[in-house]
Amino acid sequence: MKIEDLINEDLILEDLKAKTKDEVIDELSALLHKLSRITHLDHFVEAIHAREKESSTGVGFGIAIPHAKSKHVKTPSLVFGRHRDGIDYDAMDGELSQLFFMIAVPEESSNLHLQTLAQLSRKLMDERFRDQLKAADNKGKLLSLIESIDKEEK
Amino acid sequence: MKKIVGVTACPTGIAHTYMAAEMLEKAGKKQGVKVIIETNGSIGVENRLKQKDIDEAVAVVIAADTKVEKARFNGKPMLEVSVSKGIKKADEIIKDALEGKFSTYQHGE
Repeated sequence: MKIEDLINEDLILEDLKAKTKDEVIDELSALLHKLSRITHLDHFVEAIHAREKESSTGVGFGIAIPHAKSKHVKTPSLVFGRHRDGIDYDAMDGELSQLFFMIAVPEESSNLHLQTLAQLSRKLMDERFRDQLKAADNKGKLLSLIESIDKEEK
Repeated sequence: MKKIVGVTACPTGIAHTYMAAEMLEKAGKKQGVKVIIETNGSIGVENRLKQKDIDEAVAVVIAADTKVEKARFNGKPMLEVSVSKGIKKADEIIKDALEGKFSTYQHGE
């Protein structure tokens, strides 16, 4: 399992329309549903909210990583959304969030894609990487940035 | 080089565990100390701490929102924080660790 199995250009939203945290979750989840990567929209959204209730996945640095492990996930997926102005996502540092990585994994997940997501999480702590994601001006560039995490493993 | 060992863990074990590990390791690099982090994520335990490293470490950092096996840290200067604090305050945590600001952990108390 590589990162390109989790994400492709269709799973990238360069300019989110959402204005609130709930709308971000809805917008990203709806895309997963449209692309048939999840089987049930409402139940999936519920699972995402349940995780947010434990503690916000707005980790600061302008990043949020809403995620759920759910039986309503058909294909392990990563959706990337970017918001130009930033959204109040209850981030730990109180700042607005611009970069959203929604992670959807099935109940029975293989270690391989969890490892990929772990790698992505580590990579997101790199300020340069975040700046590149904010600056990229098309989906292709965004995708190759996100895919670049695979190459850094070795 | 001085050593600090730590454990990171979060409920879903998909992202925060690794973010905290990365930030603590980065903070260590900046401050010239070797930070060795065991991650307890949904993949399971990775990079399990060796007893030798625990023995040699000047301090232990636990950044976790789930239960971590702690008996092995008995008698070590230790700090326990949430995983999110481990991400956000990594630099301060490592600084405090090096300055000997942690209190000694007594297992079972």
